[in-house]
Amino acid sequence: MTTTLEHKAPVIKHEGGGLARHQNFLTAMIGGIAGAFIAWAIAHHLLDQNVRTTSDAVAVLTGCGWIVGFWFGIGALNAPFAWLVGKDQTRKDQLYYAGEDQGTKRYWKYCTDHKVVGVQYIVMTMVLLGAGGILAMAIRTELIVPGNHFVNQQVYNGFIAVHGMLMILALIVAVAGPWGNFVVPIMCGAKDMAFPRLNALSLWTLVAAAGLLLTTLAVGSLTMGWVVLAPITDQAGVGMDFFALAILVFTVSTTVAGVNTICTVFTMRTKGMTLERLPIMVWGAIIAAALGLYAFPYFSLVEALQILDRTFSTSFFVGTGGGTGWLQANLFWLMGHPEVYVILIPAVAALFEISAVMARKPVFSYRTAIAGMVGLAGLSILVWAHHMFTTGWAPTLGGPFMVTTELISIPTGLFFLVLIGTLWRGNIWMKLPTVWMFGFIANFIIAGITGIYLSDIPIDNQLHGTMFVTAHFHYVFVGSVLFGAIAALAFWYPKVTGRFLDEKLGRIAFWLAFIGVQVTFMSMFVSGLRGMPRRYSSYSFIFEHTNFITTIGAYMIMAGMLVLGGAVIYCWNHGEPSGSNPWHANSLEWLVSTPPPLENFDVLPVITEDPYNFGKELVRS
Amino acid sequence: MSIDTHSHHDAHADGGHHEPPEVVDGRQRMSIWLFIGGDAITLAALVFTYLYLRGVNTSGHWMSMLGYPGPQLPGGHSWAFYDANVFNGSNPAAPTTIVTGPLSSGLNWLGTVVTAISAGLIWSAERALRVAKNKSAFTMLAALGTIVAFVAILISFHQLSLIPQIYSIHNDSAVMAFTAYGSSMMIIIGAAIVHLMLLVFLGLGLTLRSARGAINVENWYQSRLVRMFWVWVAISAVATSALTTTINTIH
Repeated sequence: MTTTLEHKAPVIKHEGGGLARHQNFLTAMIGGIAGAFIAWAIAHHLLDQNVRTTSDAVAVLTGCGWIVGFWFGIGALNAPFAWLVGKDQTRKDQLYYAGEDQGTKRYWKYCTDHKVVGVQYIVMTMVLLGAGGILAMAIRTELIVPGNHFVNQQVYNGFIAVHGMLMILALIVAVAGPWGNFVVPIMCGAKDMAFPRLNALSLWTLVAAAGLLLTTLAVGSLTMGWVVLAPITDQAGVGMDFFALAILVFTVSTTVAGVNTICTVFTMRTKGMTLERLPIMVWGAIIAAALGLYAFPYFSLVEALQILDRTFSTSFFVGTGGGTGWLQANLFWLMGHPEVYVILIPAVAALFEISAVMARKPVFSYRTAIAGMVGLAGLSILVWAHHMFTTGWAPTLGGPFMVTTELISIPTGLFFLVLIGTLWRGNIWMKLPTVWMFGFIANFIIAGITGIYLSDIPIDNQLHGTMFVTAHFHYVFVGSVLFGAIAALAFWYPKVTGRFLDEKLGRIAFWLAFIGVQVTFMSMFVSGLRGMPRRYSSYSFIFEHTNFITTIGAYMIMAGMLVLGGAVIYCWNHGEPSGSNPWHANSLEWLVSTPPPLENFDVLPVITEDPYNFGKELVRS
Repeated sequence: MSIDTHSHHDAHADGGHHEPPEVVDGRQRMSIWLFIGGDAITLAALVFTYLYLRGVNTSGHWMSMLGYPGPQLPGGHSWAFYDANVFNGSNPAAPTTIVTGPLSSGLNWLGTVVTAISAGLIWSAERALRVAKNKSAFTMLAALGTIVAFVAILISFHQLSLIPQIYSIHNDSAVMAFTAYGSSMMIIIGAAIVHLMLLVFLGLGLTLRSARGAINVENWYQSRLVRMFWVWVAISAVATSALTTTINTIH
């Protein structure tokens, strides 16, 4: 039996919420700025200005003031302090925090409804991608001709660092944020996330971290790229302190989100929702969350050490005091490579979901799909040193790390097997999500193959630090993950808004982006193969033509993203109505009304079959 | 997906916010285990940092630095390294190696034992509530555990002040630096302080909530959650003390 659970929520007037009634994004900004100013004034007054590290210490404390003030202003600290004094939330309070009867205002508040948090993540992801994209355009404009002076070299360095980190943060949350929050709890048959307040905390902490990160552009002097290389960080100005603190805070956000996701799936599934009946997207969410729990502590530690080196003159990465840059490299890449799969796995899982629904077939070899994701997650923690082949660190370990890196192609191959197997002889519905999915498959093949080249030590010795590497990971992040994220957006957009994402505009965006990716990064491969180094603001005339082509391609991608962004905004209120289940899918999120009601279900369903058992009556002609 | 919408409508299913305490408790325990897991990774990374820096011993500077020995600073544990320009003529022509010593093992273990005692008190508090159903004993023991954890914070701050440091003056600007050993101890002790502060917050919460009736003999689950994390902090303190007091100098 397949049915749609309609919900008629009674209108309840209530008076809960307390202080939260007066807290929102505006008060958060005011609180953050006030907190930063107070912390700056205190630090400036108390710390000895003759000490070399004082300016860094003042910057760190100012950043901490921003975070605490922001948390206070948005209402994140209400519940902990209410708990402290023994004042638990009432049901009315909980409903207020969940945004009941608050209309669109709840999107600007510390709202605990997972669907509101999901929408907030969509907006946040678009803002981060937009900001990172603007920086990418600035970088490419600087590089359009050799010796260009669109921005000066210090500003260019800052753009490189902030562009990289913004995009990484955006892609970490691009799928897991919106859909891990909006659809995963419903897919499990849960009424909300396991810890709704922590859910809101993870979102607003990300907002606070992003604010801090963007501030670094104004402060400047970021010499160290997004990987925050030591000991060059010594040359960076106080922007580096904000940068490191932003990452530290971001890891709090991801840790909280990861714990919440895992607890939701393992403790809140409805009756009959066995692990083998879980939609494959849910598996992707929990595997990525678990991998994040492993990886991000390294991220927070390496940034904490950077801050200590700069503010307390410790010597973790300073050779004269017994430290070493290799420590930074090891800690960073212990996080850095798993992080790639924290980004990739949710996108791939979303595509498994989309491929099954759009081809009207079960996910091909469901267990293989899970094994692929688990295998990828497991192997990803054993490959970090391939980022350090050319640094001279532990040369004898080069061989083993090369092997583990090349082994990654096996679970990656399983992804292709599952995707192609699911689509094979399916009754494929070529709608917008499917189009972007095919874009992913094409780009991910190139990303994967070039990755195998780079895992090979002799080739890596030649190509490391060149534009070839930049092109490779942009095929991973832009060509693959971003395309997957957009496919997921197009797929679940009707569930969020009740409207389709415009097919025509979506396809224009697709072709602009798809052709743009090939133009941009194929020419970048050529620049890299010819020896052009990364991160430089100027270059030799021999790279002139390929860089010109790369920049034109980048503009095409940006044009595509602008079209897509415009479509997302326009269709939110003006798109073609979609109904509750436009794709005739069987998983639970499609069986509740659109938009889903507060707490999702009036009556929790009991699951009796897996979500991919498409009957003949549902096969489209 | 086939579903049955009628056969699973019981009182517990009527809202995630009205679930029975044991269901919520199971979920919260899982979250604590996951947070502890993440914290264990951080601890492992700290241990890696400590052992890596000691193993690499860059330029032999795990516990030493090149410089000009000066008078000992207050406390007797810090060494001074003065800029040759400041003490023109009174310094040796070439810098010599200034060797700093490890932190006091006794003080290190004292902080750990105090942390362990606070964990024991919180555990006893939980048992008093869960087994003996004695709420007043719970309140007293929780308060005591919190105070003891606060003492552990004070000991840790004292330890921080004793970390060997190299101190120099450049053109009237003070420059203080820590060796790799001192740096590692700073992050380990600093992490302990952050955890202890969290414990004090949680302990204070247990005490105040118990005093206000928000925790009682039927509602002892929160005390177990706090105890789980508290015991983990004590275990990690033992682990780091065992590491840093037995493997510190290089022979």
